[in-house]
Amino acid sequence: MSEVTRSMRATTGPAVARVARRRVALPSGWWGMALFVATEAGIFGSLIAAYFYLSFQATRWPPPGIDPPSIALPLALTAALVATSVPMFLAARAARAGRAGLTGGLIGGALLVQGAYIAVQAVLYADDLRSFSPRDSAYGSAYFTLLGAHHAHVVVGILLGLAVLARLPGGLTNYRVIGVRAVALYWAFVNLAAIFVVLTELSPSL
Amino acid sequence: MATAVATPEARARVDRLERIWTERPGLVGWLTTTDHKRIGLMYLFAASAFFLAGGIEALLVRTQLAAPEQGVLSPQAYNQVFTMHGITMVFLFVIPISTGAFGNYLLPLMIGARDMAFPRLNALSFWIFVASGVFIYAGLAVGQAPDAGWFDYVPLASKQFSPGMGIDFYALGLIFVTISTTAGAVNFIVTIFKLRAPGMSLNRMPLFCYAFLAVSGAIVFALPALTVALVLLELDRQLGFHFYDIAQGGDPLLWQHLFWIFGHPEVYIIILPAFGIATSIIPTFTRRRMVAFPLVALAEILVAFIGFGVWVHHMFAVGLPTIVTIYFAAASLIIVIPSAIQLFAWMTTIVTGTPRFSTPLLWIVGFIVFFIIGGLTGIMFAAIPFDQQLTDSYFVVAHFHFVIFGAAVFPLLGGLYYWFPKVTGRMYDERWGKASFWVTFAGTLLTFFPMHVLGLLGMPRRDYTYHAGLGWGALNLMETIGSYVLTAGLLIVVATLVAGLRRGRPAGDDPWGGDTLEWATSSPPPAYNFAVIPKVSSAYAMWDRKDREEDARKLDRGELVLDRGHETPASTVLDAELDEILAMPSSSWAPLLLALALAGVFAMLLLGHVVTAGAFGGLAALVLFAWHTHEPQVAR
Repeated sequence: MSEVTRSMRATTGPAVARVARRRVALPSGWWGMALFVATEAGIFGSLIAAYFYLSFQATRWPPPGIDPPSIALPLALTAALVATSVPMFLAARAARAGRAGLTGGLIGGALLVQGAYIAVQAVLYADDLRSFSPRDSAYGSAYFTLLGAHHAHVVVGILLGLAVLARLPGGLTNYRVIGVRAVALYWAFVNLAAIFVVLTELSPSL
Repeated sequence: MATAVATPEARARVDRLERIWTERPGLVGWLTTTDHKRIGLMYLFAASAFFLAGGIEALLVRTQLAAPEQGVLSPQAYNQVFTMHGITMVFLFVIPISTGAFGNYLLPLMIGARDMAFPRLNALSFWIFVASGVFIYAGLAVGQAPDAGWFDYVPLASKQFSPGMGIDFYALGLIFVTISTTAGAVNFIVTIFKLRAPGMSLNRMPLFCYAFLAVSGAIVFALPALTVALVLLELDRQLGFHFYDIAQGGDPLLWQHLFWIFGHPEVYIIILPAFGIATSIIPTFTRRRMVAFPLVALAEILVAFIGFGVWVHHMFAVGLPTIVTIYFAAASLIIVIPSAIQLFAWMTTIVTGTPRFSTPLLWIVGFIVFFIIGGLTGIMFAAIPFDQQLTDSYFVVAHFHFVIFGAAVFPLLGGLYYWFPKVTGRMYDERWGKASFWVTFAGTLLTFFPMHVLGLLGMPRRDYTYHAGLGWGALNLMETIGSYVLTAGLLIVVATLVAGLRRGRPAGDDPWGGDTLEWATSSPPPAYNFAVIPKVSSAYAMWDRKDREEDARKLDRGELVLDRGHETPASTVLDAELDEILAMPSSSWAPLLLALALAGVFAMLLLGHVVTAGAFGGLAALVLFAWHTHEPQVAR
């Protein structure tokens, strides 16, 4: 019995690190998030499939009067967003090592880039809405819905990051460490999905 | 207590567990509960209420069709009633009762755990299920029920042809209920992966749990397609998008593809829990282990997996390219193999065992009969020319009622009888139990079998009436009589169980000599499930007498009693080696409040108040944050 940890009792940095070192399997919270993003992958898979299904039916995609999307800026933005996977991954490691300050710093840094990303994307989205509408064609519907779904996931990710950050001044507990790991996993998924979304969105220009 | 309490120390440990795990009394206790057994019971009663509603709708349909050219229901009302019947039975009855009630109550007990992996998420699933059911029925209450059938094809379901709010109730209500179902599925998978009692490696896990693993996996990957289909439909209807609008470059077939990518796995989501219940009841009443255990486990997973590759067989008549339809016809034939493996394993187990045909096993025999009938007609639909001839006829209605009612609901009813002594601590009357089976069995055959003939004669499904000159009156009357006999059978089930609850003799912990761990604890089980986390060394843990005696000794020694908090052990995923001890969350208002906030979001989206919906969304986010500030390590 003595060798088995009561992991939830870990409420200090060193205790948290000890629990994380001793644990053999992945924690329940990690599995919960893994399955949640699996179902989310189904959402993006269906949306992307719907986009291509409609594009294959069309004679012109995008329809006449709508410019194909520009390539450079969306790819650069996606690269910046995907890069935040690194600080999020490191934050999960720092949390497992029981280092609350470092964890918070890394999440905060990632949040700055993610926040800037969504701000620029919102401006671009509004720009696109001025040049064509989701109500004019199936292309517009598919384009704005797919991008909107992606943006919504980024916003949720930012909210999750902020929620975790808000809990860190009280120090790390096992519960919070698993929270950080789950949020890092969520971001890994959002960033992976971002690559598929941007390639789908740019497919008429590629 | 099943585990014998021999010493004062053991007594003190059990008392401590009792104190730690007992929830608040009264209504507040139920509203804030995170106990999987209480949540399971609430699921049972809520799903039964929806079953009653769906059953009344079925009787209305059958009464309207009892004779030609009747006017019990107007054509409009008829459309609403059969649509609501389908939605109710699929989304608000079968899935919630099989996963929500049976899975919730039994799965943690079978794997020797004290709760689900995420107890508060479990409560959230339940409250969202209730809220979404009320949401969908609110449409009926205000006379705006959906009326485009349960698969809701566009363009009929588009704003142009269904201008009312019925389809919006359908789309938003189903998006809402999928949140509940998905959350439940995630919870089951993590519970199975993480909370199995030390020693219950995957090869020692009961087949019931394999079935639930397969169902949950199918839910996680199938429901997103439905969610996306519904979101796109609402975007078309409410914001004027063009996903399904052929005039602007959309395509109505996109709806059919997305719906059936969900819809066929859904069939297995409905029936796999029934398979799980069958594999629980059969070994107990035949006094032998399941034949071909690993093959059956594998077949349960395979059915769920292959179920994703057959959806186009619902669309053979829409004019897809031959190469596509042939591929899906082949896939639809292949899925017969894992289904047949299970069927033959059940039958062989019964034949080579020493069967005792008590009520629960009778329902399973009925299930096997109906699964053979429904399965054989299912294979027929894999043949493209046959399907094209009979699509949208009453033959289809016959087929899926044998599968969904005969094969999916019969084991649920058998399961009700089987686990009744465990849940209530009392026995039902065996003679009435058998009578209820025979009446329901006869009613089911009488209701659904003539539908095959009517379908072959050309009677279409979903028509509100038929001409007298067609000669379909006698068979239709037979079906309607059958549906009332069936109802009588179900009422006898209810009466038998209620009588058992009131006057039944005490059942004891293990009246059947069951093979899985739920029989190791008292009836009804205490809040903490097991005084000692049970030792497991085979898939038939209750038949390992030495292990159960070892449990009693462990209680004396205080080993794995975990009486220092709201605790349960977590194990490694494959080998189930004890890894850590988890403190579990206990009663909380957050799940109920979050479900209410989400109900606000969906109600406001229905009414087109996007800003107010956003405000409710913000409220939901705040509740979620508050939820996570209450961390389980904080002692109560």
